[in-house]
Amino acid sequence: MIDPRRTSIEVAREAQRISRRTLLRRGLGLGSLAFLDLLRRDLPELGTAQDPIGPHFAPRAKRVIWLFMAGAPSQFELFEPKPTLQRLDGQVLPPSLSAGKRFAFIDGASAKLLGTQRKFAQHGETGTPMSELLPHTAKVVDDLCWLRALKGQEINHGPAKLFMNTGFGQFGRPSAGAWSVYGLGSEADDLPGFVVLTSGNRGPRGGAPLWGNGFLQTQFAGTPFRAAGDPVLNLRNPEGVGDSEQAEFFDAVGDLNRLAADQHADPETEARIAAYELAARMQTSTPELIDLSREPESVRKLYGVEDERPSFARNCLLARRLIERGSRFVQLYHTDWDHHGDPGNHLGKPLEARCREVDQASAALITDLKQRGLLDDTLVIWGGEFGRTPLGEVRNFIGRDHHVEAFTVWMAGGGTKPGASYGITDEIGFGAVDQGMDVHDFHATILHLLGFDHTRLTYRFQGRDFRLTDVHGRVIRDVVA
Amino acid sequence: MSRLIASIHLALATVGGLIWLAEPREQEPTRVSWQNEVRPLLADKCLHCHGPDPATREADLRLDTPEGFFADLGGYQAVVAGDPEDSELLYRVTTDDERDRMPPAKHGEPLNEAEVDLLRRWIEQGAEWEAHWAYAPFAEPAVPATQHPVAHPIDAFVRAELELRGMQPNPPADPATQLRRLALDLTGLPPSPEQLDAWLADPSEEAWASQVDALLASPDFAVRWARPWLDAARYADSHGFTIDGGRSIWPWRDWVVDAIDADMPFDQFTIEQLAGDLLPNATRSQRLATGFHRNTQINQEGGAKDEENRVNAVLDRVNTTGAVWLGSTMSCAQCHTHKYDPITHTDYFQLYAFFNQTRDSGVSSDPSLLVARNDAEEEQAVAWEASRKERRAAVQAAHAAATPGWSIWQPKAWASNGPELRPEEDGAYRVVGQGAIYSTYVLQGVRAGALHALRLEALPARGLPGGGPGRGSNGNFVLQQIRVYARNAAEYEVGDGRTPENAEDSGWVRLPIERAMADFEQNTSGEGGRHYSIAQTLDDRPGWAIKPGFGEPHVAQFLLAQALPEGEWELRIELQQEHGDRHALGHFRMLLAEQEVELPEGEVVPELVDAAWADALRAHREHEGARPRLPMSLVLEAREVPRETRLFGRGSFLDPQQVVSPGFPASMNHFAPDAQPQNRLDLAKWLMDPRNALVHRVTVNRWWQQLFGTGLVETENDFGLRGAQPSHAALLDWLAQDYVASGYSRKHVVRQIVMSHTYRQANSTTAQQRERDPNNRWLARQRRLRLEGEALRDAALSVSGLLDARRGGGPVQPPQPDGVFAFTQSRKSWNASEGGDRFRRSIYTRIWRSSPFPFYAVFDAPAASATCTRRVRSNTPLQALTLANDAMVIEFATALGERLQQQDDPFAAAFPLVLTRPGSQAERQRLREHWQAVAEMRDEASAWTSLGRVLLNLDEFLTRP
Repeated sequence: MIDPRRTSIEVAREAQRISRRTLLRRGLGLGSLAFLDLLRRDLPELGTAQDPIGPHFAPRAKRVIWLFMAGAPSQFELFEPKPTLQRLDGQVLPPSLSAGKRFAFIDGASAKLLGTQRKFAQHGETGTPMSELLPHTAKVVDDLCWLRALKGQEINHGPAKLFMNTGFGQFGRPSAGAWSVYGLGSEADDLPGFVVLTSGNRGPRGGAPLWGNGFLQTQFAGTPFRAAGDPVLNLRNPEGVGDSEQAEFFDAVGDLNRLAADQHADPETEARIAAYELAARMQTSTPELIDLSREPESVRKLYGVEDERPSFARNCLLARRLIERGSRFVQLYHTDWDHHGDPGNHLGKPLEARCREVDQASAALITDLKQRGLLDDTLVIWGGEFGRTPLGEVRNFIGRDHHVEAFTVWMAGGGTKPGASYGITDEIGFGAVDQGMDVHDFHATILHLLGFDHTRLTYRFQGRDFRLTDVHGRVIRDVVA
Repeated sequence: MSRLIASIHLALATVGGLIWLAEPREQEPTRVSWQNEVRPLLADKCLHCHGPDPATREADLRLDTPEGFFADLGGYQAVVAGDPEDSELLYRVTTDDERDRMPPAKHGEPLNEAEVDLLRRWIEQGAEWEAHWAYAPFAEPAVPATQHPVAHPIDAFVRAELELRGMQPNPPADPATQLRRLALDLTGLPPSPEQLDAWLADPSEEAWASQVDALLASPDFAVRWARPWLDAARYADSHGFTIDGGRSIWPWRDWVVDAIDADMPFDQFTIEQLAGDLLPNATRSQRLATGFHRNTQINQEGGAKDEENRVNAVLDRVNTTGAVWLGSTMSCAQCHTHKYDPITHTDYFQLYAFFNQTRDSGVSSDPSLLVARNDAEEEQAVAWEASRKERRAAVQAAHAAATPGWSIWQPKAWASNGPELRPEEDGAYRVVGQGAIYSTYVLQGVRAGALHALRLEALPARGLPGGGPGRGSNGNFVLQQIRVYARNAAEYEVGDGRTPENAEDSGWVRLPIERAMADFEQNTSGEGGRHYSIAQTLDDRPGWAIKPGFGEPHVAQFLLAQALPEGEWELRIELQQEHGDRHALGHFRMLLAEQEVELPEGEVVPELVDAAWADALRAHREHEGARPRLPMSLVLEAREVPRETRLFGRGSFLDPQQVVSPGFPASMNHFAPDAQPQNRLDLAKWLMDPRNALVHRVTVNRWWQQLFGTGLVETENDFGLRGAQPSHAALLDWLAQDYVASGYSRKHVVRQIVMSHTYRQANSTTAQQRERDPNNRWLARQRRLRLEGEALRDAALSVSGLLDARRGGGPVQPPQPDGVFAFTQSRKSWNASEGGDRFRRSIYTRIWRSSPFPFYAVFDAPAASATCTRRVRSNTPLQALTLANDAMVIEFATALGERLQQQDDPFAAAFPLVLTRPGSQAERQRLREHWQAVAEMRDEASAWTSLGRVLLNLDEFLTRP
């Protein structure tokens, strides 16, 4: 079996293939297991057909946690008090601003401006304005880095979410998470490199393509853990099968595959054997991962994990546990921020409820990562797929329409500048007047923090080199520490 | 330096014994190849700025046409044939002067020595140029002579290339492997042990030919070969996007299976799918075939715009047609002229113009075809459709007779501040989308002539509450005010965005209305309500409503106080409807009277609604309601009123520019340069012209890919300049011409390929082979290919004996794990089918776009969002988890275990049944050990299931050998 022409990486991979279980059965101690774990981590994920590209320069962020507020929260009720907007409350938009603009539901020419519905105060040493709705986030403002004039281009939720994730408003392109794992590989040998967690009363509009691999190989796609039950499908043994039978099953498949591989010598069979080994490890690793009862009560309290019901707070804590175990990119979706002004869907109680659901855990994640020394090289992102209009939407309750000209996103850690603010909007918050940036710039900056020149992280498909930023994007260095 | 390299080449060439060190194609070539060497280099380095796109072209220089190379640039030329020193191109790529150096530093690396040398030699040799291979006419098919004589033309082409490289093909695969490969490729099912025994008893050439013929004739062939076509067509049973409601288009899927089964010639297959509705006396089957391009997604989201949806569907049809037939990435040209391929922005919209003439709108399921399953139903459907046509015509005729002197006005610009007005073919607007509480509809456009009076027709419609004409919960509307404005079209910029409200100097003059009348007014004052009279539309009082006259047409007429004189006017009509609660018109039409028409006296004039017209409308509506209860399938239908196509600036439908007519991409059209195509049928016929070598190359290449994993052109979806060169260009042309000569027969081409040694050879590789030819470009071996998820499930159904072979019909739902729908906006229930439907072939599994069947998805099934002409074959731990633990697989495993239990020697019988080969002693032993281990841990029944489970998880089972 030993072939002298094999490269050292192939030999090392051989070592990787030895499962923990097999090693234990061979009587190896835990010390050697830990050693083997180290050895494995230095290598790309097992069973993958393609090695990671590797960063172009030293990354500031080694991993990403993206808190995606699906439906698009209102920046005017959360982050952006605008005195002039307040003063002009009830007036129509001047034609100079409304001409040629598209809105999903309202008529730009006749809708009336709507001042913020919430009280604001300045917080932290930076004196950052923050709404009364986010008291916990207000306590960590000095750790956050603000993008206040981000510009999108898709006005409906599905396409806008695709655009925010893949840089393209239609299906088919790889998501930022897929590009990241394609570029950097995963540090986890028994968990997926890119994991998606959702909370709220339904999944985000757009579904699987939001975390898709596009034309990259499926191994780079986000693995959507489910909100309840098995986080990955088919992680449990089939009904009636005990662990020892399951172990014998994997052994039998492995042995028979090896016997056959000796006949046709197809490297793909070796990859399949490795994939089965990882599958077996995932069955073991994942239940431990999701068992939040292992966290101390103080940590559970910090996040606001009160019981076993699915929640954004649980997902934040789970996200931290995932990145600790080597996942590269974790994306959380929390739904129902689409506050147009319908019953159950407006800037009153529904907005308050959404804020209560995410505020404490978002802030806790920053605090917890910081305490553990993980914030330095973990990039946290918080925001929706677009913002909401400075114009009110006249339905039965007070609401705002979709707004792509300027909206607010915050980032933290991972080499971003704490307390910095980039992007200045006009007096009513309609559009950027200075330091504008678009979603491609945002992507370019994320990739920069991950150690990539966004113009060089490419994949050739159908005769063209594709990239996350398409033919656009510039790195916003003002937000890089 | 380059001279030095050239002399080293020369030295190598003279030291004959050393020559084997170099790759054969790197041997000192006699001639530089424009096609293989020069053109790809220019495409990569130069064409971004000096290519077909006039928008990004620098210095007005093109390096993709001879006109460009040899143009007089003011005393010099980019290329002077035979004279490198005088060729500006060579100076530019070699100079040290930063200002002249090409490519400029910001655009990329300078050319290396070898690349410069290549250009130099090409110029020295006369700078010969030829059209891009893919767009060129067919070459004469000459089967090459080989040193080792071979019978099959395919083998001759392949062998010739191998001999050129000093390579040997593999020996034939062992007979069992050959049969398993053939059966899986042709039917998606492994051969039965009986088929295997018969074949092993007589593995002769004749027996192989009859195996091939039998499998080609099997109904399973079409099921297997329809799958890639469904991928290409982005077929699914739902609308997609976020709501992802269900749709009925499975009869089209059955059409595809039937057509492939009958080996419908691919030209007919193409023409019927792209333009079956336009064929003379189109049959129902031909109309059904047009479902191909109704597989586009529909966004049913509340804020989605109907027109935007429709435009997106048309764009997708262009892109899909480009990918499937032309093997070209068209979508770049949507926004600008293609940077590398000679497809211009205009070419793109000329193709768009073909598809911009269909009746389907953005968000509805119309038009759909009734699908008959037997003669009686056929008769029913035909009769109903014929009388529908008659009734439509009757409505039109009655309306025309009732409105002499009036003309329908459907201006280019229409708007509302909430719902969307969708212009219909009969000149009406259907109001769609979510509504604001307050709505004002605006019709605005330029019109020549005088204006005397206006006629508003509020029309009933199916789909509106109470049958309309209003959108209120009972079908009512309240028209509060009608305002009519005009301004001189010559004096103001048309559509300048200035409204009477927002700009004082907008030029709009409001035309006073002297008198209004209606056929009917709501007067509920007796019941504590109000009198909503038509007169109230002329002032600030509540307005005009029609309760309880729902489901009927209503008409109001307005006489201008002073007629607008003859002239070119921009006209603006505002219909204000601010009663709230969606009390706005849902379906209406505006007519104008240019001359004085006779207006009756009085305010309420029932005769405004002509009785014959109202009767015709009612008859039509009742007939629509009496549609036979048959399955429906989405189809294309041509519009009667042509739609204008404009090129979109930067690809955005909000920026329409010049008008374009249908046309073929010039660079791909060497054979019909003077054609003046009109419609989709012309496009389909052009694609299938025997001289359209590009399309035929693309087609046979995909079939080759199906049988080898990779096409002769690896970039099967990009035959353009930046795509891969064919590995065997002559073979590709031979195959394509053989296919045309066969009458476009798919089965003929498949038969040709599978009869070759190239197909039948062993898949084994040595390290040396892999090093020499890692991607198997030269075909010295076959390849192992992991089965697609659907084929894998079908194979498992087959070996477990559970397969229900019934063909056709609506989608079925095999069991899937719980909670798969957790991520979709509208949660759906997935009630697993019972009985045989649980075990139907995978092509019949229901496909929800937003949550595809997880077993197929994990094995790389596409999401049916865009055309997919080649599947990824990944190898992931999630696949292992699925096969190991999914309850559906355990169900198969149990059946397989039971089947094996009945065999004399189950551990021996397992191998031919599942893997189409005998098992080795060691393999049987390992299986038996496993059985015993599980029997000890649990019981024998579990051991039999586990035996099946192990077999279904083997790499060899998942793989076409």
